[in-house]
Amino acid sequence: MTKADFSDEILMRFADGELDAETAARIDKALETDDDLLARVALFTETRAQAQVAMKPLLEEDVPDHLVDAVQRMVDKKRARSTDEQSAGNVVPLRKPAAEPLSARTWRLPIAASFAAAVLGGMVGYWLSSNNGRPAEGLQVAGVSSPALIEALATRQSGDEIQLPGSNQRFRLIATFRDSQKALCREFEVDSPDQSTVISIACHAGDEWRVSFAVVAPGDSNGYAPASSTEALDAYLSAIHAEAPMSADEELKALQTMPQRPSS
Amino acid sequence: MIESADSVQDQLVAFLPNLRRFAISLCGSRDLADDLVQMACERALANEQRFEAGTRFDAWMFRILRNLWIDHIRKQKTAGIQEEISERPDLTGSDGEREVQARLALKSVSQAIAELPDEQREVLLLVCVEELSYRETSDLLDIPIGTVMSRLARARKNLVEAAGITATTERSEVMKGAKK
Repeated sequence: MTKADFSDEILMRFADGELDAETAARIDKALETDDDLLARVALFTETRAQAQVAMKPLLEEDVPDHLVDAVQRMVDKKRARSTDEQSAGNVVPLRKPAAEPLSARTWRLPIAASFAAAVLGGMVGYWLSSNNGRPAEGLQVAGVSSPALIEALATRQSGDEIQLPGSNQRFRLIATFRDSQKALCREFEVDSPDQSTVISIACHAGDEWRVSFAVVAPGDSNGYAPASSTEALDAYLSAIHAEAPMSADEELKALQTMPQRPSS
Repeated sequence: MIESADSVQDQLVAFLPNLRRFAISLCGSRDLADDLVQMACERALANEQRFEAGTRFDAWMFRILRNLWIDHIRKQKTAGIQEEISERPDLTGSDGEREVQARLALKSVSQAIAELPDEQREVLLLVCVEELSYRETSDLLDIPIGTVMSRLARARKNLVEAAGITATTERSEVMKGAKK
């Protein structure tokens, strides 16, 4: 009688239920008569079973109270917040919009690939440095004062890409959404001649644009993309309870109804 | 309301024992494991919208926890902090000594698992203990499925040798065959 020759890998997959039905049936058949084969398969089932037995006590250990309490508190807090939002009627799945502009996706990918994790959020602003050295034309957390940028933020639609007048920077409007305070916010990117890209969020507050978040992605660091940079953006959007990006129509309407103010 | 978010919130506390077991077996320390578990839960809740309904919650959580563990190791390396080896008693001693010891007294299976190389241990835990599929494990660890299989096979081989696991070859009902 000839014995079918099965590799260890095939036998392991058999033991783990990872084999296609046809091969599994062949092994089943062979096992009826082949004790050596049976022993080889048994080693795999045995190691699996014994590993489970050995690790079971860890599963049965009591999880420390402080840990259970801490996690329960986090869940309760989150749930309470979700309930609040739900009753306020503004719960929207974050960044899974039906109408996210295609451009937002196509741009985000290459830029994410060159992120350096220089995250300037919260109190820190990013200064656009190449406006002939005039600080008044920079982009600050306190407010955007470059007329060209203000103009772009107030008029451009998601997907638009322009050269900022009077500068050598390229501006791209990525998405428009409202934060939890219903302020109009715009996610945009500015490429500088040194090939760095600043990804920012500016929200319209009072009569000015305030940059609340910025990530610098140097253009020269290619290849390695720390996931933490896109997570930083998502985490920030999550923290401000950003609504889903607007559709093109919604965006246009929002821009048209935005209070106009004289540019400085 | 988002279904997946509900499901993260609903499942988290009940899943703590499993998550903690995985953490302990990764890092070898209960205190550190508890910190990792708490951080993982925090991160999971902050990113709950990323959990896709219909996919395995346990695999998603294990991945978050493992990423935190890897970050932790990286930071330790950067800071030049030595790895705590007190909870891995058998890391000391030459290969020769260990070999002799191994022959004299076979290790418990749990000890043998603890002493597996990290990359073999995590695959063994995910597939054999947590019962993830090869594909799920490959996705979780970002390694090809072939690598999952080769690590898993090596882990089992090491386990067999270290703990002296022998195959039970008595034919059971399941094998449904007759002895030759």
